[in-house]
Amino acid sequence: MIRDAIKTTLPIFFGYLPLGIAFGLLFQELGYPWYYATLMGVCIYAGAAQFMAVGLLAAGAGFVEIAMATFFLNSRHLFYGLALLNSFGNWGLRKIYLIFGLTDEVYSLMSTIELPEGTDKPQFYFLMTIFSQSYWIFGCTLGAWAGTKLVFNTQGMEFAATALFTVLLIEQWIKVRKPLPFIIALIASAIALLLFAQHMLILAISLSLIMMMVLRLTNKKVHDEY
Amino acid sequence: MNIEYLVIVIAIMSVATFATRLPPFVLFSGREQHPLLQFIARYTPPMVMTILVIYMLKSVDYLSTEGLYAFIALFVTIGVHLWRRNALVSIVTGTAVFMSFVQGWF
Repeated sequence: MIRDAIKTTLPIFFGYLPLGIAFGLLFQELGYPWYYATLMGVCIYAGAAQFMAVGLLAAGAGFVEIAMATFFLNSRHLFYGLALLNSFGNWGLRKIYLIFGLTDEVYSLMSTIELPEGTDKPQFYFLMTIFSQSYWIFGCTLGAWAGTKLVFNTQGMEFAATALFTVLLIEQWIKVRKPLPFIIALIASAIALLLFAQHMLILAISLSLIMMMVLRLTNKKVHDEY
Repeated sequence: MNIEYLVIVIAIMSVATFATRLPPFVLFSGREQHPLLQFIARYTPPMVMTILVIYMLKSVDYLSTEGLYAFIALFVTIGVHLWRRNALVSIVTGTAVFMSFVQGWF
C-alpha cells in the first residue's frame, strides 16, 4: 500500500519540488532562519498562499488583512470537499488531517483515480496526503536552506503541475463521458477570465457549479441524464 | 525580521487555510446520500479539472518561444497519455520535454 501511495503521488512530487524550492528561495531573502520555511510547509501547506505570505511579511501586513487575503486566495477549496464527503472515513484525527491536506493536486488525484476493489480508501488517502505534504515540506526546506547552492536545475519542472491536471482532465473525460460539465467549465472560465482574471479560480468554480445546478433543476433532460 | 510576528502570521494563515477546506465536511456531514449532493460530487471534479488546466495555461505567452515549448510539451503529455494511459509516464515525459527546451539540453 505504501509503494502504491508513493507511485500514485509521484507526479505531485515533480510538481511540488520546484514550487517548494522557489518558495524557500524567496522566503530566505526575508532574512528569517530557514526552518521557518519548513514550519510554513508543515502548518499552512498551501502553495499560492505561502508565496503571497512572502509579500505580506515583507510589507508587515496586518493580521486581519492576512487572514482575509489567505481565506480569499484559498476559497476555491470550499468546494473540494464536496466530491470527497464519503471518502475520508469516520471523524477522528485522520479525517482532520485529510481535510487539512486537501490541496489542488491532492484533490485532483483523489477525485479522479479509481482504487482497486477492497482498498482501505481512507487509509490509502491518508498515505497519499502524508507523502504529498512531505514532498512539499522537503521542497520548502531545501529552497530556504540550500536554494542558492543547489546544483540540480529544476527550471521548467513546474510544468509537472500542468501535466498532472491535463492528464487528470483526460481521465475525467474517460470517466464521465458526457460533455456538459466540461462545456460549462469552459464557459465559466471564459467569463471569469474576462471579469476577474487574477482570481479566476474561485469565480469560475462557483459559476460552473451554479450553472450546473440550475440546469439540473430546470432542464428535464439534464435532470434525467446527469 | 521579527520572529514573533512571523509565528503569529503562520498561525493565522494555517487556520485561514484550514477554514477553506473544512466547511463541506461539517455542513454536509451525514447528508452524503442526498441526490443533489451526489450530483455535485460527481460533476465538480471534471469542472474543476477543466478550470485548473485553463488556469495553468492562461499565463503562458503563446507568441513567445516559451509558449511554443509549453504547447509542444502539452501535446506530448496528451499524446503519451492517450497512447499508454499511465499518468506517471505521461507527466514525466511531458515535463522532461518542457525542461529540455527551457534549459536547452539539446
